[in-house]
Amino acid sequence: MNEINYEKLPYAVRDDLVAAQNAAWGKIAAPGDWLDGQRRVNVAREVRQAFSCSLCAERKEALSPYAVDGTHDSATDLSSAEIDMIHRLATDPGRTSRKWVDDILAGGLSQEEYIEIVSIVCIVMVTDSFTRAVGAPDNPLPEPLTGGTAGYRSLAAQMHGTWLPYVEMADVAPEDGHLYDNPQEPPVVKALSLVPDAKRAFWNLADANYLPATEVFNLETDLRAINRMQMEVLAARVSSVHQCTY
Amino acid sequence: MSTQKSGTEYDVHAAVGNGRGDGGIPHAQLLTDFAEAIASRDTERTAEIRQQVADQMGEEALIDAAATAASFHGYVRIADSTGLTGDMAGGGQIPEEFRQDMGINEFYRAANE
Repeated sequence: MNEINYEKLPYAVRDDLVAAQNAAWGKIAAPGDWLDGQRRVNVAREVRQAFSCSLCAERKEALSPYAVDGTHDSATDLSSAEIDMIHRLATDPGRTSRKWVDDILAGGLSQEEYIEIVSIVCIVMVTDSFTRAVGAPDNPLPEPLTGGTAGYRSLAAQMHGTWLPYVEMADVAPEDGHLYDNPQEPPVVKALSLVPDAKRAFWNLADANYLPATEVFNLETDLRAINRMQMEVLAARVSSVHQCTY
Repeated sequence: MSTQKSGTEYDVHAAVGNGRGDGGIPHAQLLTDFAEAIASRDTERTAEIRQQVADQMGEEALIDAAATAASFHGYVRIADSTGLTGDMAGGGQIPEEFRQDMGINEFYRAANE
């Protein structure tokens, strides 16, 4: 696999962050619980493709993204439902809706596949946003690994007022493996736990970018070279640009 | 509108978009501009502000600012793909007045669901 490194950058990137990105890339390449390696890498490829898709650009400008029909400019042989899901999440995530998700699931994509795709989309968005921020080129996508899917869905997952079931801390089953580090984990940390490995794949990367769960509620943390309020300023602005209400 | 952390009062308007300035947070406006350039995929503006962040805050701060901003490109997509709502954020403790004042209630999902 092509290893991610930033040796050509004029800035030193933390080793733990580079390691987390490489681990996340390795997870994309490997068979998941519901998507094989090729399909997972194709999801990653479609995330990048979405930003040059003319339908996505047209929808982004529309008052209602659901009023614009058409065909996505795709780069893979993923199903049209998968491509629409990936492109919308990549380019216009603030205008998703429960009906949109329900339609995707009614069209044949399982809840588990949906969650695994979300995890991959988010890993690619985080990694590519970092490289763009520091002025590095996109890292080459990993080569897919062969092998079968594990097919694991947490039996502890239940509905908790969101669109898909997730695992509450008190319900974690031994078969789920380690899921949570902090008794106060917010819903966003739990949201992908229907497929525990998909949750871990994203959050292991996210914790290295932002803060590990054990530090999130420490407002005086000095783990990073910017203080906590500076981090929240960055977070608030990114969320605002994306029109995220959470 | 302001928020209090650790006994210090900060103005967070700049971060969400209804004002400019640091609001008591060192380099807040610069970081806000950096986050916006990254999230808007504005390569030229990102490069310009990246240099300012490195010059004014140092290279380690630049990397951690970039990493933090990058991580939220994932968080927002998890929230918006799984139906997490504003009243679930912040332990459910964020006052409605704050959301109104920050303009969050005018976002697409808040206005349409």
